[in-house]
Amino acid sequence: MGHTTYLEAAGAGALSVRRAVQGKRLLVTGVTGFLGKVWLAHLLQNAPDVAEVIVLIRPKKGESASARLDRIIERSPAFRALRDAHGEGYERFVRGKLRGVEARLTQPLAGLGADAAPLLADIDAVVHFAGLTDFEPDPLMALDANVRGARHAADLAALSRGRIYLHVSTAFVAGVDTDDVREHIERGLAPNGVRFSPERELQDLEAELGRLERKQDRIDACMARAQRLGWPNVYTYTKGLAEHLLEGRQDVRAATFRPSIVECALSYPFTGWNEGVNTSGPIVWLLGTSFQRFPARAENVFDIAPVDTAARRLSLVLAAQLAGERDAVGVYTCASGTVNPFTFGRAVEMTGLAQRRLHRGSGDRWRRNVVSRLDAVCFGVQDEQAFGHARLRRLARATRSWLRENPPKEQLSPRMHRKLGGRRLDDNVRSCSMKCRTADRKLGQIDDMLRQYRPFIHDHDYRFRTERLAALSERLAPGEREAFAFDVADIDWRHYWMDVEVPGLETWSIPILRGEKVPEDEPRVVANARRTRSPRYGRSVDAAE
Amino acid sequence: MTDDAPRTAAFFRLEGVLLRRPTLAAAAYLASNGQGVGERVARLGNVALAAPLALLGELRVGAAQARMTWMGLRGMSEDRLVLLGEEYFEEYLKDDVTDVGKELLKQARRDGRRVVLVSDNVDHVVGPVADLLGADDLICNRLELRHGKATGRLEEPVISGNVAGPWLRRFAGEHGVSVDGSWAYGASGADALLLSAIGQPCAVNPDRQLRRLAKDHDWPVVDG
Repeated sequence: MGHTTYLEAAGAGALSVRRAVQGKRLLVTGVTGFLGKVWLAHLLQNAPDVAEVIVLIRPKKGESASARLDRIIERSPAFRALRDAHGEGYERFVRGKLRGVEARLTQPLAGLGADAAPLLADIDAVVHFAGLTDFEPDPLMALDANVRGARHAADLAALSRGRIYLHVSTAFVAGVDTDDVREHIERGLAPNGVRFSPERELQDLEAELGRLERKQDRIDACMARAQRLGWPNVYTYTKGLAEHLLEGRQDVRAATFRPSIVECALSYPFTGWNEGVNTSGPIVWLLGTSFQRFPARAENVFDIAPVDTAARRLSLVLAAQLAGERDAVGVYTCASGTVNPFTFGRAVEMTGLAQRRLHRGSGDRWRRNVVSRLDAVCFGVQDEQAFGHARLRRLARATRSWLRENPPKEQLSPRMHRKLGGRRLDDNVRSCSMKCRTADRKLGQIDDMLRQYRPFIHDHDYRFRTERLAALSERLAPGEREAFAFDVADIDWRHYWMDVEVPGLETWSIPILRGEKVPEDEPRVVANARRTRSPRYGRSVDAAE
Repeated sequence: MTDDAPRTAAFFRLEGVLLRRPTLAAAAYLASNGQGVGERVARLGNVALAAPLALLGELRVGAAQARMTWMGLRGMSEDRLVLLGEEYFEEYLKDDVTDVGKELLKQARRDGRRVVLVSDNVDHVVGPVADLLGADDLICNRLELRHGKATGRLEEPVISGNVAGPWLRRFAGEHGVSVDGSWAYGASGADALLLSAIGQPCAVNPDRQLRRLAKDHDWPVVDG
């Protein structure tokens, strides 16, 4: 489709993603992540006239940046729809559009050094997905990934031709400010209303973390800092800090995209796709066990953004930025709770019902006959139930302790001991003690997980406003609505949860929690491209081996 | 038949004619699969209270039995009702359609009649049955829902043995159907009012009460 056609398609005031990205060069970080992959594949499929997308990839232990990119292109299910759309021409198309560059965002200029300037000379926009999404990681890592990484990515944008920067954050930087969360940030105003200096906070944090040797001490220190400003955990604190630092920059035209909980795809690349372990994965896994008392407030909103809706909406923000719209700066929130609320009560109940379906066909009698008949319910954490996990854990500990302190051999007379099985009795008691230890450990993991989730599933009920993003969506050119528009009001949560989310998690996420591998796609074609070194940038990894 | 000629319909009472399972069984299934053990016991107890009324028959107790049957589902979420309804259909109703019912349905379609299913069950349970059988209309009870939860009441009109003369004439008038040329198939004494109001009544596997009425009125009786 030619340029004039785009102009014709998009009326006056209309927003055309295809027109905006046509002929543009984008620099993207974090495409190895869930949202990044889907967004990239969706953009390449629906706006194929983008000139080039350069992806910055960090090499991992045992896997080069080149190998990581090749793996995504050839095997990731996120690219399945794109592969199917291009058929035999896929390799040629994707290699013509995508170029990988080895980089480390934790270093200034992503470690590109002298290669940075020529690389950035013809870049129109930088899209920064990379980040650490664990709720309680080592703060040193979170600081590197979420704060320094974002700062370095913005530095790259500042040196680029377009000086456009799109920062992917999270809606939960709202922290304790839960009601009516606007698409807005006021630099230096923390979620709890306390004024602070972002630079000073960063300096103090770096200094404090530098003094602490133990990871747990660093987590505790970081949590104390976070909570003092109204952020519930390390993740939202570091993401929030990055936003505040970005807000003060005058050298880039920056927009921040805040998705809520990014979950299984509604339709792109295909229904139910998910990658890794996201927020709902552990919850759904937990409710599929005999653990049936879930500490959440039933009426609280469970704000979900299916990954493909988030990807579409992110493209709208980028298009507005590339189109040079003056207002395309600041915060855009991608969430569903205000327009089409879905509650924890519904999620927990439907997860139980979905698990029934799965367990009823199971070959495991325990699952088929017992677990399938159990139903999870929400309860307030202050109303600990008779069979709540904390009590069960205490019971397991006490039982194990009692069994260890009272071995049958010592407690029983030799005659009674022999009569009750002798050595077999000892073995059974030992086995029971081991099972109690395993139960204690597993319940401890669950306890830890629920503690980390608690601010989001119990303590706070977020209401994110999304008017700015909705306004962009309304202005979308009519010919592009099918590809880029999506109205969260259209989501039928019952269908989504029963037929998309739970089956998707069962296929793509829960096996990981069980220590199993999830399938990747078989490569369509053995890549016949040769490794080439870009004459301009020594570290290009744009071709398969 | 010309386009102007009034169409005819075939009214099938679902319970007994097309399905073997009674409505009370569906209500008990939904009640016994509530969220939480205590809730299940309470709901099931409520449904059990409707059992004696069911034994008395719909003609004697009217809509009270239908109201009592579904009252126990008060507070149950719409999600649960829909999903359990689908589950009940898959597990118990899908393969429960009687052979004689299937034959009569085929015959009605061959004769170009509008197929109307009548049931005192709720739409969450019998909706999938109507889809399976390709019915043109489904007349059944609907649970009143408020804020996504059942109130325990049924929406008006409550369907029970009251599907009879006035209701039938109103339906026929609204849909351009001839009452005299239409058929109705019933299986229990509760269907007697429906059968006596229609031009072509038929008793299918009737209970003792309906069999006696069919004999008295010389209605055809189909056993199978």
